[in-house]
Amino acid sequence: MATQTFDPTPVTATVLYQDNVTTIADAIETGDDLWLTLPALHRAGGWELKPQGVCRDQICIPLPNGESSRYLRQEQGEQWFNLSAFARLIEQPLAHDSAHHAWSFGPPAWEWKARLTTRQAPDFTLADLQGRAYSLSSFHGKKVLLALWASW
Amino acid sequence: MDLPVWQAIREELAAKAFEVITVAEDTKGAEAAARYIQAANPTHPSLVDPTHVVAELYNTRNVPAVFWIDEEGRIVRANDPAFAVRRNPETGESMPNQPYLDALRNWADKGADSPYLHNEDTVSSRIGQQDWADVQAMAHFRLGTYLYQQGDEQAAVAQFKQAHALKPNNWNYKRQAWNLGDAQKDYGVNAQEARNDPAAQPFRLPLDLPLHP
Repeated sequence: MATQTFDPTPVTATVLYQDNVTTIADAIETGDDLWLTLPALHRAGGWELKPQGVCRDQICIPLPNGESSRYLRQEQGEQWFNLSAFARLIEQPLAHDSAHHAWSFGPPAWEWKARLTTRQAPDFTLADLQGRAYSLSSFHGKKVLLALWASW
Repeated sequence: MDLPVWQAIREELAAKAFEVITVAEDTKGAEAAARYIQAANPTHPSLVDPTHVVAELYNTRNVPAVFWIDEEGRIVRANDPAFAVRRNPETGESMPNQPYLDALRNWADKGADSPYLHNEDTVSSRIGQQDWADVQAMAHFRLGTYLYQQGDEQAAVAQFKQAHALKPNNWNYKRQAWNLGDAQKDYGVNAQEARNDPAAQPFRLPLDLPLHP
């Protein structure tokens, strides 16, 4: 939140970023916001700060004009990036537990809004009891019965 | 249990380029699912999904949820609440779900000409679109799963409750969370009663099998 004071006492935070779980030894938390150094931003979320915006793979998100202080700040000789504000920018769901310093980020808008908009079966990779990994896509050429069940 | 029946139909139809993939939506992973899988002795991929990734990707809200996927990776029948075994309410006897298995046999033989396939609109309406509350609930559910795995059950319950409030008709989130601890103490819910409450029937679509293809 913009009104929160910036408490520059780093904590050890856990960031669940879609499939990645990363422990960040020097994170700063201000209310609903999580600030990371640029190397930690890359480790946790795969993002890099570039002149054209915040980039990952082929995607670059420009930061809104005139609002850079919401996303970036200089503190203790280090540049900090507000991953929570960025999540709001890209319509990424976010949940956090302050006692555990644990932050859970879901997919960005362009991923979750594109889900199931065609009848193409979403691919996934999971392991069996022996730890062998299988991907749905490797069964191309066969008919597949995909059955979700549970013990509960 | 359903898994031995899925295994049997897999063996029966394997020569027709047919495969079964089962996915256990279980936060406790192998600890919860292994005994059922081992009892079925499967020759097909029997996968374990502790973070409910597949339920998230396919927008399912309860189990069972069964999808037919064709040779091109297209969903041709969606979100069936298909139990492989059904219990006769009069005799209490459990029998394989023959109408559903026959529908599968028909698909294995006739492919795109099978009358059991859903058209594109039906597939799309049976799956639905995710909205902001869905994905926000997923972020809470994922965090609850992490906190549970870290051993803090109370912190996990708080996150699961948020997921339940955001998506009251997601029975995966409810039934999974109730099962991890004491549903009465943690959620004020009698799980058995909740499942049988006509005012809050677990979300399941009609199976919708044509009787005479």
